[in-house]
Parts: sequence; structure tokens; C-alpha cells
Amino acid sequence: MFEIKPDGEGRLLLIGRFDAAQAEKAMAAFYALEGQVALDCKQLKYVSSSGLGVLFETQRRLGEAGGGLKLVNLSPHLRELFTIAGFDRIIDIE
Amino acid sequence: METTRDFPRSIDALDGLFSFLGDQLPGAVAEKAAVYLNLAAEEIFTNMVRHNEPGGERITVAVELDGDRIRVRLTDYDVEPFDPTTAPEVDVTRPMAERQPGGLGLHLVKSIVDRLSYEYRDRTMQVTFIKKLERTDVRDQA
Repeated sequence: MFEIKPDGEGRLLLIGRFDAAQAEKAMAAFYALEGQVALDCKQLKYVSSSGLGVLFETQRRLGEAGGGLKLVNLSPHLRELFTIAGFDRIIDIE
Repeated sequence: METTRDFPRSIDALDGLFSFLGDQLPGAVAEKAAVYLNLAAEEIFTNMVRHNEPGGERITVAVELDGDRIRVRLTDYDVEPFDPTTAPEVDVTRPMAERQPGGLGLHLVKSIVDRLSYEYRDRTMQVTFIKKLERTDVRDQA
């Protein structure tokens, strides 16, 4: 299961497992994002290269329009995974 | 003892794959170890589904625990050879504009497993990885 929903404080909550099956379903929601977007990852349990690919394409698209993603509250091991993927160089991780 | 299960050759089989792997884990395994185990298995499984041609109807996953290590072997049938252990490395230090989408999954696998091996015989591919399973520590339990 993977969900994206507003947290009521201007951020979007990512919830659950962002795997290959869920990444295909989540594409439309990420494609609708505009401007500067903060993603709260405190309930994100898992992400694979497919989920990372969606984040990468979203960051590229938003960045071309002057916006971008910011990730907050990543668990230590998911943060490590983002670093292994080199995503700490291309996405703002707080 | 090795435990084996066949999965449909489909991305939609991932939930079943994760459940199967979770059932094989001993208690008190750190969340990070479980996440990385699933990740390595997903990346190899999805690579097989998406890129191996022509491919049969199933992929077999075999799991064996050996002390604090787990060995996972994925077998794909009726496919052309592709050795993930010698696939080109992805340069994750490149700026966004110069990065390509492909290859990230195998980069993650190579970074998080302790051993990765490949065999190909009679149009059957086997990819095996070994991962050390860290135990839950006090911080994980908090």
C-alpha cells in the first residue's frame, strides 16, 4: 500500500511502501505537483529504485520551472538509501 | 533448510514476494535489514520481469538462513543471458542533468548486499545474493 495525502500543515505525507507496483500507480499524483513541495516521509516505510525514479522525474520537472522537492523526516535507513542513490545531491533532504 | 516458492512473472507479485521473505526472517531482525532484504529482492525480481526476454510464466525464489545471514536465489526461465554483476556502474555523483534513469536498481543492490552472484545455463538465469541480518537494537525498539 502507498498513499499520498496532505498533512494539513502544507506538506504531503508519503505513507507506506513506494515499490515498483505502487510507483506506476503514484505517477499521476506526482505529475500533478507544482512549485515547491515538502514531502513528509515519517510514515514512509520503504522505497525502491522505482519510487526513487518517480521522485527523480518529479524533481527534474519541478526544478525546470524553478520549484523542487524537499524531503523531511526520512528514517535513518531510508536516508542512507537516498545517499547511496546519490539523491542527497539532487533533492533537498532535511 | 531452503524454502522455495514460485511467483507469477509480474510486478503485481511484489506483495507476495515481500510476505514470503518476511515469513522466512527470524525474530528480532532490525527494520533496516528487513527493508534492505526486500529491496535487493525487488530490484532483481523487477529487472527480470521488465528486461529478461522472452521469459516464462514464473520466477522461483529460494531462501535459506545460515546463522546471521540470509541467502536469496531468484531463478528466471527461458531467458537470454544478462549478468547483473558485470552491468555498467551508475555514477550517482553526476549532476541531475547528466544522470540517466537506468541502472539505479542494480547500483542499490550491489551497495547493500554482502555478495551477489550470477549463473546462466540452459536458458535459465539464477541470481543469488547474501545479506547479513542485523539484529534489532535498542534504538529500533524505541
